[in-house]
Amino acid sequence: MGNPISSLELNKPGALKKVLLKVLLYVVVIDICLVILYPYFVMFCNALKTRPEIFSMEGTVFPIKAVWNNFKEIWTLAPMGRYFLNSILISGGSTIIAMICGIPAAYALARMKFKGHTAFLGFVIVSQMFAPVVLLIGIYKVMSLLGLTNTILGLVFINAAFNQAFTIWLLRGTFLSIPAEMEQAATVDGCNRLQAMFKILLPVAAPGIVTTLIFIFINAWNEFTVALTLISTETLKPLTVGITIFNGYNIIEWQYLFASSLFAIVPVVILFMCIEKNLTSGLTAGGVKG
Amino acid sequence: MKKRKTLQTAEPYLWILPSIILMCIFIVIPIFYVFKMSLSDISKAGVIKGFAGLDNFIAVFKSPVFGIVLKNTVIWTVLVVLLSTILGFILALLLNNNFKGRKIARAIVVFPWATTLVVQATVWKFIINTDYGALNTLLMKLGVIQSAVNWTPTPEAFFAWEIACGIFVTIPFVCFTVLSGLQSIDSSFYEAATVDGANYWQKLFNITIPLVKPSLTVSTVLNIIYVFNSFPIVWTITKGDPANRTDTIVTYLYKLAFYNGKQDVAAAVSVVGFAILLVCASLYMISTLKKEDA
Repeated sequence: MGNPISSLELNKPGALKKVLLKVLLYVVVIDICLVILYPYFVMFCNALKTRPEIFSMEGTVFPIKAVWNNFKEIWTLAPMGRYFLNSILISGGSTIIAMICGIPAAYALARMKFKGHTAFLGFVIVSQMFAPVVLLIGIYKVMSLLGLTNTILGLVFINAAFNQAFTIWLLRGTFLSIPAEMEQAATVDGCNRLQAMFKILLPVAAPGIVTTLIFIFINAWNEFTVALTLISTETLKPLTVGITIFNGYNIIEWQYLFASSLFAIVPVVILFMCIEKNLTSGLTAGGVKG
Repeated sequence: MKKRKTLQTAEPYLWILPSIILMCIFIVIPIFYVFKMSLSDISKAGVIKGFAGLDNFIAVFKSPVFGIVLKNTVIWTVLVVLLSTILGFILALLLNNNFKGRKIARAIVVFPWATTLVVQATVWKFIINTDYGALNTLLMKLGVIQSAVNWTPTPEAFFAWEIACGIFVTIPFVCFTVLSGLQSIDSSFYEAATVDGANYWQKLFNITIPLVKPSLTVSTVLNIIYVFNSFPIVWTITKGDPANRTDTIVTYLYKLAFYNGKQDVAAAVSVVGFAILLVCASLYMISTLKKEDA
């Protein structure tokens, strides 16, 4: 790939300078990576220590003896299985609802002209300004009226709603990048709009749809504040709120807290790595076109 | 025939209807309630007792704490957004070079972005702990320091660490948005500039920065909103304590509403928060519109 900065940075002025710059680049990048990985390193090492070792005056970087049992014990000390299941239900449910509502809306914005087109797009963008935390009091009120406080379904709807903006934004960008001619050709061949969408547009847009889907799943998985406020029953909590069970007012069980945290983040980090490239280009592309 | 035409004009609205219903119930109605509650007198149990006019707002602005909270929020938002934008931009320039292991570096940078904030904040809370924190242990083992350092002697120091944590988790988003902007720049621009004898910095300021500006704008605007509304970092590390010295608007209103049973005052704080965000957003819109005219 043509790489502008590198080719210009390492261009002509002598081979020595070129090598030095390369070495410098490596040193800086490696240092940054080490800093980024440091918290994860700390988490992992301390998840394998015993409680006395963590609190010992001496202090250790690596565990004296790795206590793998910590990873097993958290499943009996806390309803980790339930937390996991709840997180999956909340994230899965909100992803499905966000897509069911978002795909048609994004399609309409990308393919149809109608009165209020711009107003709707504006509404979508403005809705991003309101993070759930500022609206918590109002959300709590609405949830009580609907009988959805302390339910997983309530969190599903909240996460779906607050991710609508991103869903529509990303999908609209994807749909706009696909020429409408293909669907028109299908319409000439006797397909109606819905058939053309399902048979032509959605398969072509699949990479963009998958990216959006995973992004919303991750957002919902990582959500903390609303779940903290709406859920009071231990067995209904998602992982993000559930693991704080080890972070009590007086005693913090760091080893368990870190062991359970690792369970909460690893699947998501892997998922995120898969979509990162598509996601960022989608976000900015939407921005430029909007 | 006429019926068909009505159906055709109505069709787009049917497509956007589910989305509108979802957002109305769970975003618009809560907004309405927040405004209504900010103007009401509410009992500790959450029952609306009557209209209170601007009493709640007066209570907010009369509170000696609110000044600190507001100042903290501004410092928090400005520093986190500004520094993470600069650092994220530099990191993107670095990662845009061709080198071995670039894919691995990119994958590592994803980590803080994908990690839920509670976990990230919890680890940092552990790292900076004076008595058994990982940072002291590490530095002592490396021989950099002799005895444990108190990294958080004052509330301000705590707040500074919270800001650092905020920057840490925000950099990846900026980095990747800029990176995608950088990669869409046509390399012929640089080739032409090289022919004209431009040096690295000239190319950076005359080609790179203007061309990634749209990406930077997107990430900055989104970041202002996110960072302003960010709750888990401050909540996990200090809960806004001691004595509100590390509170931002969101942690302050959370405590008012769900710890102190002052939902009406909390609603007023929410409304003030909206107002500030709205001003930021409009300033941004005005400035972009102006530039497009010019």
